[in-house]
Amino acid sequence: MTTAVLPAAAPRSAPLARLLGSELTWVLRRPRTLVMLGVLALIPIVIAIGVTVVADEFADRRGGPGLIGAVAGNGLVLPVASITLALALLLPMAVTTAAADAIAGEAASGTLRGLLLAPVGRLRLVVMKAFGVLVVATLAVLVIAVVGVLAALVVVGAADGQLVTLSGTTIGLAEAMGRLAVVVVWTVGQLAAVGAIALALSSLTEHPMVVLAAVLGGLIVFGVLTAVPALDWLQPYLLTSGWTAGADVLRDPMPWGGLIESSLRALCYTAVGAGLATHRMLRRDA
Amino acid sequence: MTSTEKTSTEKTTEKTTEKTGTEETGTDRRTTSSDDPATAAPAAEAGFAARAIGLRKVFGATVAVDGVDLDVPTGSVLGMLGPNGSGKTTLIRMLLGLTRPTAGRAELLGHDVDAAASAALPHVGALVEGPGFHPFLSGRANLSRVAAAEPLLGRQPLGPVVDAALERVGLSAAADRRYRGYSLGMKQRLGLAAALLLPRRLVVLDEPTNGLDPAGTRDVRRVIGELHAGGATVIVSSHLLAEVEATCTHVAVLQSGSLLAAGELRTLLDTGGSGLVVSTPDVELALRTLREVGVTAYRTEDGVAASDDGPPAPEVIALLVRAGVAVHEARRNRTNLDELFARLTEETP
Repeated sequence: MTTAVLPAAAPRSAPLARLLGSELTWVLRRPRTLVMLGVLALIPIVIAIGVTVVADEFADRRGGPGLIGAVAGNGLVLPVASITLALALLLPMAVTTAAADAIAGEAASGTLRGLLLAPVGRLRLVVMKAFGVLVVATLAVLVIAVVGVLAALVVVGAADGQLVTLSGTTIGLAEAMGRLAVVVVWTVGQLAAVGAIALALSSLTEHPMVVLAAVLGGLIVFGVLTAVPALDWLQPYLLTSGWTAGADVLRDPMPWGGLIESSLRALCYTAVGAGLATHRMLRRDA
Repeated sequence: MTSTEKTSTEKTTEKTTEKTGTEETGTDRRTTSSDDPATAAPAAEAGFAARAIGLRKVFGATVAVDGVDLDVPTGSVLGMLGPNGSGKTTLIRMLLGLTRPTAGRAELLGHDVDAAASAALPHVGALVEGPGFHPFLSGRANLSRVAAAEPLLGRQPLGPVVDAALERVGLSAAADRRYRGYSLGMKQRLGLAAALLLPRRLVVLDEPTNGLDPAGTRDVRRVIGELHAGGATVIVSSHLLAEVEATCTHVAVLQSGSLLAAGELRTLLDTGGSGLVVSTPDVELALRTLREVGVTAYRTEDGVAASDDGPPAPEVIALLVRAGVAVHEARRNRTNLDELFARLTEETP
């Protein structure tokens, strides 16, 4: 037998900090998480290279108002543009993968019952899993932001430390970084909404692929619905309809309306998703 | 293992009075098991390590477990037998709170599973439905993850506990290899290590020898023996009868979700046959001697068999010896588990 000494009052659950630490190690050791982060890091690099190459050819007729076009010669737009671009599909995919593995994946590999038998309380399990997904979301956005800034400084040049906004004005480096932080936090919030819905689906099945297909399919359907003019009344309810607001930080003065509205919407989605996931996990057979 | 046991014993003693039917042979407990010196000391703690009370589980149109009442005495090694699909695993899953019963309730170490499983589960180690681990992590990392979730490990460092568990199942050498590359037997061993990560009061092993080589099977037997000697209760499900016969003190036989028989292994085997079997070359003499004193006796392959309706066994043997019969061997006419199992499972359609 092992030499474990049982404390007088036997605890009914492991310390939360240790559970979260263990979840973090598990998430970060998973090869697909690392591959995903690596791919996300490539986005700003690819855009930066693409823009420098293209910028030379189009040097004369530059001035197209596109977000990507604005990157040329104005490096600090790069991280914001990369995050906005990745939010369309890659970031939600990274978060959904994490959420799918978090519960459905654990059920599929037979490790969920191990956790429940330990026992990790069912509520704690949801907290632990939500934490893991949130960590992946945050890391994914941060990777793009950090690589984006570095790539901008190296490849595109920082426009003398100034950020030329889409409105044509310039702001200082400090404020530019502040605005980047705003877009990072805002994006993590949107991804938390995706993650919460994905976790809810994940708690319903033991097939991670189902979660991935459902969430990504849902996002595409949302995109289609957004494009149908007759369904304009649906817009306030669709998570994706506010996802262009990230680029607002590049305007001067910065319009907060879109960012706040989409954040509130994300909050609603997060609450619904977390509620469903908790409700289901309290009853789930493992 | 101190203060929590007290509460569980108090609870279980009051429940022993409302014993439910179907297991006439289960009235054994400590009185009979105390002749085994290993169990005498720990068995002083009364009660049941696990109880099923009218447990029933229906999946759609299939009745997986149909109203099972089963008491697992503390300190016993219960072998759960039954053909594939007889409801062994479902019953175990309900006992552990992994599956919600359609009707009835389960108790673990004196706690109601539905209401307070978290009070009992830290003391329970389980290997259910095969080992479940992550393929991309090493055996050690997988086990560390299990250890991190164990409430009883408190804030002590996990490394030594994990190493000891790996050592115990003979996986130390392969500890840092990825689980992906483990053989079936190694996976099973890792599952066993997770169940035995810390001293348990109840260990539930669902088909523990699946995929194990003979040495592995012996190891599992040894581990069960050690647990039993240490006073822990063990529930082993298996379809390997020899394995159960070699390790268990109690048996529960399931078929089509119903409990066919439950109780102490020895008692069950004794009910299978009766009388005395005597090996002797002097068959004619033996038969005559026995019939003279009114014992029903008949010829067997290598001797005679005497029924129980005459004098007690020692007298019968003394009689035979005095009559000049060369007695090579005399034993109770006891069925083995194979015969018992076949009889039980074939009797009912």
